[in-house]
Amino acid sequence: MAETEPQPAPAAEKPTPAARANPMLCAVLAWLVPGAGHLYLRRWGRGALFLVVILLSLAVGLGLEGKLWELIPGQPLSYLGTFACAALGVPYLALRFGLNYQGQIESQGYEYGAAFILTAGLMNLLLILDAWDIARGLKE
Amino acid sequence: MSHFLLMVLYSALVSVFFAALWRRRLRDQAILFLQLFLGMVGGGLLLAWLMYPFPPGPPAPIP
Repeated sequence: MAETEPQPAPAAEKPTPAARANPMLCAVLAWLVPGAGHLYLRRWGRGALFLVVILLSLAVGLGLEGKLWELIPGQPLSYLGTFACAALGVPYLALRFGLNYQGQIESQGYEYGAAFILTAGLMNLLLILDAWDIARGLKE
Repeated sequence: MSHFLLMVLYSALVSVFFAALWRRRLRDQAILFLQLFLGMVGGGLLLAWLMYPFPPGPPAPIP
């Protein structure tokens, strides 16, 4: 049996931006500023679109004077609501601790606004996971 | 802003988000956007129509 000659090792592939990205840094950026994780991964268009959509949803919620959830001891639903709102990162921190925003319960848009704010937070949660997956090379 | 306009705005924002998140090609994004948007708005109108026969009842007391 003839011996086969050893094949040359394939040239190392040039790492893509996602391959060079730090997943933890990417996730933290994505949490702090909506869309920043995708911008860090050089997904410029999608990152900008996500930033606009989430900030617009938050702005509508604030315009309606919607509720910004906070922890209420003994009420597990408030934990979930607060977790979702806190996923907004810097905007949440600024509203909660900088402006002491809580919403206006007398406002007609209080509950509608809460839905927009909660949705903005939940969308950013999904973005964090998406950016994490891209940074780890699990997604394109 | 009316309830209907808020529903349309909410549906549009969520549909744009998921279309950009779940699809890569522009054509696929547009298709998914339309499916989600029309599904949410149409579903909301259908639910409202089904609830039409029910009386609204007295307004809830303001705490």
